[in-house]
Amino acid sequence: MRSFNDPRKAKIGAVVLLGVIGLLLLLPFIPMQAGAEEAKQESAPAEKKVEKAKDVYYKGPGEFGIVSGPPAPKLKYPDDYGTYGTFQSRTILWVANQQHLYFGSFVLAVPMFVFVMELVGMLQKDKLMAKKYDDMAHEMMKISLTAYSITAVLGGILIFTFLALYPGFFGYLSRIFKPIMHVYALLFILESGTLYIYYYGWDGMNDGGFLKWCHLSIAFLLNTIGIILMFFANSWIGFMMSPAGVDEQGRFLGDIWKSVHTALWHPLNVHRILGNAAFGGGVVAAYASYRFLAAKTPEEKAHYDWMSYVAMFMGILNLIPLPFAGYWLMREVYGYRQQMGITLMGGLLAWVFIMQAMMIAILFVTTNYYLWQAMGRMPGAERYYRLFKYMLLVLIVATISWLTPHTLVMTPAELKAMGGAQHPIVGNYGVMSAKNTAVNIMITTTVFCFCIYQRCNKVPTVKWAAAGNAFLGALFTGAAVNIVFLGIYGYFIPANVRIGLSVPQVCSTLTTLFVGVTINTMMMKGARQLGEVRWGQMSPRGSYALFCLAVSFTWTMAVMGYLRSSVRLHWHVNEILRDNSPWAFTNPVGYAGNMNSMNVLLFWTMLLFVFWLGALSAKKAPVREEEVGVGKATLPAGSH
Amino acid sequence: MLKQRGTSLILQVLFTVLALPMLAWASGGGVEWMDAGKFALIIEMGLGIGVIFLAWLIKDKLGFPFPKLLQAPLIWITAFIIFRVILQPPIPFSLLAIYMTVVTIGVLLYITITQPNWEEFSKPIVFMLQEDSGKAKMSRYITFAAVPVLLAYGTYNKMLPKFEEPVELRTVHPAPPASINVHDKILNLQTAENPYRIDDSGKYLKVGLESAYFGKNPWATDAPKYLQNVRDGGIVFFGTAGCFFCHGDNLDGKGPFAFAFNPIPANFADPGTISQLQETFVFWRVSKGGPGLSREGFPWASAMPPWEKHLTTNEIWRVILFEYWHTGFFPRTWD
Repeated sequence: MRSFNDPRKAKIGAVVLLGVIGLLLLLPFIPMQAGAEEAKQESAPAEKKVEKAKDVYYKGPGEFGIVSGPPAPKLKYPDDYGTYGTFQSRTILWVANQQHLYFGSFVLAVPMFVFVMELVGMLQKDKLMAKKYDDMAHEMMKISLTAYSITAVLGGILIFTFLALYPGFFGYLSRIFKPIMHVYALLFILESGTLYIYYYGWDGMNDGGFLKWCHLSIAFLLNTIGIILMFFANSWIGFMMSPAGVDEQGRFLGDIWKSVHTALWHPLNVHRILGNAAFGGGVVAAYASYRFLAAKTPEEKAHYDWMSYVAMFMGILNLIPLPFAGYWLMREVYGYRQQMGITLMGGLLAWVFIMQAMMIAILFVTTNYYLWQAMGRMPGAERYYRLFKYMLLVLIVATISWLTPHTLVMTPAELKAMGGAQHPIVGNYGVMSAKNTAVNIMITTTVFCFCIYQRCNKVPTVKWAAAGNAFLGALFTGAAVNIVFLGIYGYFIPANVRIGLSVPQVCSTLTTLFVGVTINTMMMKGARQLGEVRWGQMSPRGSYALFCLAVSFTWTMAVMGYLRSSVRLHWHVNEILRDNSPWAFTNPVGYAGNMNSMNVLLFWTMLLFVFWLGALSAKKAPVREEEVGVGKATLPAGSH
Repeated sequence: MLKQRGTSLILQVLFTVLALPMLAWASGGGVEWMDAGKFALIIEMGLGIGVIFLAWLIKDKLGFPFPKLLQAPLIWITAFIIFRVILQPPIPFSLLAIYMTVVTIGVLLYITITQPNWEEFSKPIVFMLQEDSGKAKMSRYITFAAVPVLLAYGTYNKMLPKFEEPVELRTVHPAPPASINVHDKILNLQTAENPYRIDDSGKYLKVGLESAYFGKNPWATDAPKYLQNVRDGGIVFFGTAGCFFCHGDNLDGKGPFAFAFNPIPANFADPGTISQLQETFVFWRVSKGGPGLSREGFPWASAMPPWEKHLTTNEIWRVILFEYWHTGFFPRTWD
């Protein structure tokens, strides 16, 4: 790092480094191109000999590929399946996969979070605040570094588990994705390098000018690499659900891009980026809460209180669009195969969606609860206390509506008493019209809660304050009326139009988010302060709420992962490669629930170790008052 | 002024007291002109608003400041009464358990929602646990005696052998196969269309456009092509196949034979059944019946016969057309 002290050398070095990393990012596209070229070359000289076949997904005139691989193997038990004692092989693989995914998501999400924090820090005019953001970003990166090693170890375990337990299936998948599997490994090396440069170069490049921007650019590259890595992994699971680039026998047709770019690839990509970012925010908030509860000095408490708020805010920002990304994914699933959509949402796995709805409801209720608790540290917030119970009521009613299952569990006697499988009143809540309405109302309530949080310790002084308040009132009321009206109207129109109605519903919600928060922020400009925020004086309940938030994120990921994987039923690769192991049946919901809980527990145990490690080294560097500006009110982004 | 306020209060109380049973009556389908299912959302919201209104009246207007310690169980009991008694027909226990769990969480959040709330709620508990006065001691003894007794009763009740029918997790919509073979023709369930969904010019009638024919008489001599097909489907429903014996005249699953079956037949008038499905899905279920259900989620319980053995493909398509026309629902589509 010493050479960075010479600004000229440092600049050249940074530019060269960025250039090299940028070039290396082109790597993924080389084999794809090469694969296509190879297929063309093969087809040219021996045109008569080549066998052509129809792509299972990319059908249509002229879309015929050249058979470039053997058919999918017909797997047999026990030849093509391994075992470890009496354990179900798939359960072992389940744990290995889930743990790797958790840590992978964490190390993917934290750099996103850190990038934003570093950028916010750099854009701060107040130097103290800039330093606070920068230090927080640095601290999080340290946590991520330990988690990164664990991710790599878990990745190794996962590969060995695949090789030992599912060699036939893994062999088939790696034959198809051979070109990009190598790139995946190479990108991992690249990511490690970038990560280490980013972390260890933090202090050396912290010149407040050009080098700092280079450092931020490295974070951008790190995130880009991470996202490409995730896209690659998503392409494999996308292929397993909605195969493409192969014929009906599973023979590869020479175009790797088609196998990567399946029907569900992009919905999965978008859903996972948002999901990971929300999860990362939740875990960082939990870390900060842990440190907050364990803090011994008021300064430390203030710092971690603020940090947990910022992380929670980041998590929620990504959580809000997540249900919409989920709807898109489900729509694409339905579009791809009706039976997959029905198995997921109306059939065998419908109850898992109820579990998921419960988790999402917990996330929104907990977020609001945290904000209510957080208002306890704002002088003047008492004015709004009376509103909390109504917001809670709206959230609970929405939760009840969302949790109402379409497929009820009941005794035959209860079925007869009810007069059918659906209840004449409650049955209305078991369908999407009600559920869309419920989630949009929950999100709108959360946005409303946030607007209140913004103005807790302030009184607007702008001339148009009365008009602004009236506008905000009308905006939220109008949005709620529109959402509920469209929800009810949805029962009277065809399904394809009804699904379209979710767009204006979402628009209402997003309008409250963007317009509502913007107007509210403008109103708070130059507002009269009723007192400074008392960071560090939040009730412990608020911190526990953040733990609940983070664990709910984790559990939701586990549930949804199980759901996505189970929808293939007895297929390794849907309709191409059959699962002929004794574990091809779908697990009961109770078993899946226990497995998910066990996975969550295991992840959090490991994560607590990571947190503990973070705290261990932090003890060496006690917080110094003059450095962090203790006593001065800290102003998190987007709130004050 | 005071008199006016008093009158207004009396009216408000009367309104609240009357509103609850009226809403309950309406929600149970007690009003002939009101379709309980369609107005369910409004009714449920009305119930919620009624309860809040009542609480507001008692607490803020009549000036009875309920202690928080009493408010919590009161909310819980009110919710229980709504879900257990007012909501008719009765909901299954599993659903009641879900609802009450959410209500319990809601109540817990309510009492801890702000620091003053929590302090007000916990103050009598702390007093009971810590104070040395006779009153506190007495409540302590009662509480500490009641807790193990309640636990013991709960355990006894749980362990007591019961002779009830076991609960069933019955999948309402089993996943269909990709394609089926009916009368030696392969039908792709993802892409197939009802051949009788056509207008007078012979063009395919897009889903939703058939609403123009709702409420019109299919037996009219000049009935359009679409309605003629609906009529033919009706003849199958009431005549050839006699579907109404099980599914009922109103397609609500309450035909004269319905309650001889376990489970009782599907209620097509519910927005959660055929309106959630593609026409091809219904075609699969009608043609293959109970024996043709997918292996996923076995064992099935369905007395539905495989109608392909008794009806032609055309008759099946027409009866499906009739079912949608009669209920006023539209099949699911993705275009």
